[in-house]
Amino acid sequence: MSQNNPSQLLPSELIDRCIGSKIWVIMKGDKELVGTLCGFDVYVNMVLEDVTEYEYTAEGRRITKLDQILLNGNNIAILVPGGSPPDVA
Amino acid sequence: MSSGGEKSGSGGGGGGGGGGGGGAVKTPSDFLKSIRGRPVVVKLNSGVDYRGILACLDGYMNIAMEQTEEYVNGQLKNKYGDAFIRGNNVLYISTSKRTLTDGL
Repeated sequence: MSQNNPSQLLPSELIDRCIGSKIWVIMKGDKELVGTLCGFDVYVNMVLEDVTEYEYTAEGRRITKLDQILLNGNNIAILVPGGSPPDVA
Repeated sequence: MSSGGEKSGSGGGGGGGGGGGGGAVKTPSDFLKSIRGRPVVVKLNSGVDYRGILACLDGYMNIAMEQTEEYVNGQLKNKYGDAFIRGNNVLYISTSKRTLTDGL
């Protein structure tokens, strides 16, 4: 039913539209990732490419660059299409 | 029991779009298939990193690694010939090429 109504978009369809483009992943806890979305599954485990990981610790921000990752969906809180860098936020 | 392990394998179509199998789309199950035997970095929820050769893994993200090095806060703390990591602890599995910089 919802498939016939273009005004209704399932959350998973929204993420599907992000495949191939940048996405900003905000995790539970003080961690964020920005990367290109390659795919995801029912648990919203995600495959990301050219990833920058931002960890916010007491000592400051730690940045880690990663080639390609499989991110566990368990700790994902928010997904933002477009991948705005955390500096801007 | 073994069928339950394929949690990422079922995801492609059922995820409402993860799969499709077309072009550049790479689902979690595709990733798992592609990295066996490769050097990887595994980060746990605790923040500890394990670098080594990925021997074997499943849909739960249970991982067997060889030549494993344990890094805490970026510093090498331990080495293990063989290591098993239970999947619930895994934050991500990354292909090994990587650089580290400290911002601020």
